[in-house]
Amino acid sequence: MTPGVLTGGWEFVWAAYGLSFAMFALYVLSVILRWKREQHL
Amino acid sequence: MRGPLPFILIGLATLCLAFGSYYGLFVAPPERYMGDVQRIMYIHVPTAWAAMLAFVWASVCAVMFLLRGTWLWDARLEAAIEVGVVLGLTLCLQGAIWARPTWGVWWDWDPRLTTTAVLLVAFAGIIILRQVVDDPAKRATWSSVATVIAAVDVPIVYFSVTWWNSLHQIQSTPDTVATAFHLPLRMNAVGVLLLMVGLMIARTRHAQLRLQRELADPVPNQIPTATIAAGGTE
Repeated sequence: MTPGVLTGGWEFVWAAYGLSFAMFALYVLSVILRWKREQHL
Repeated sequence: MRGPLPFILIGLATLCLAFGSYYGLFVAPPERYMGDVQRIMYIHVPTAWAAMLAFVWASVCAVMFLLRGTWLWDARLEAAIEVGVVLGLTLCLQGAIWARPTWGVWWDWDPRLTTTAVLLVAFAGIIILRQVVDDPAKRATWSSVATVIAAVDVPIVYFSVTWWNSLHQIQSTPDTVATAFHLPLRMNAVGVLLLMVGLMIARTRHAQLRLQRELADPVPNQIPTATIAAGGTE
C-alpha cells in the first residue's frame, strides 16, 4: 500500500452511480406522471 | 404540447449514460492517486455542468419574463428551477459520497461546497415561493426577481475553487483531466445534458397546461337562478 494512494472504494463508486440513476429515474417518472395527470384535468 | 421530443431526448440520454458509465466503470483506467474512486467523476462532473446550466437558463427565463411578460417564459422558468434543484441535490449527494474516501468526511464547509449549498437552498426556496403564491402574475414576477438574485451565486460557485483556497479540486474539464478519461466524461456529459433538456421540455409543457387552467375564466359553482327560470343552462 503506497501512502497517499487510495485502494478499493468500489462501494462508494456503486453508491454514487446507484443514487444518481435512482434520482434521475424517479424524477423522470415524477415529471411524466404529473404532466399526464395535468393533461386529464 | 403532445410531441414525442421529451421521450426521444430521454431515450437518447439513457443510451449515452449507459455507454459512458459502462466505459467509465469498466474500461477507463483508474486514476493514479484516487484509484477506482475517481470513477465517480464521470457522473459527478456532468451533473455539475448540467445543474449550473439549468440555473443559468433559469436566470435567462426570469429576465425574459420580466422583459416580455409572456407566460411561456414563466413555464420555462418553473421547469428550469425544478430540474436544476434535482440535479443540484444529486450533485451534492454524489460529492458527499466522493468526499468520504478522499477527504475523510462526508461534508466540509469549504468555499465550493458552501456556495453550492447556498445556491441549492436559494433555488429550493424559490420552488417553495411558487407553491405558496396563488396569483399567477405575482408568482411569476416574484420568482423571476428571486431567480435573478439567486443566479448571482452561479459564477461564484464556478470560480470559488480558483478565488479561494478550497479543499475541492479545480474545475474538471477535458483540458484538466487525462486523455484516457475524455470519452466517458464526454458521453455522460452529453447524456445528462440530453436528460436535462428532455426533462425541461416535459416540465415546461406541464407548467403551461397548469397555467392555462389557472388563467382560464373561472367556472361558476352554481347555475344562475335567472338562467334556470328561462329554461336553459347555456
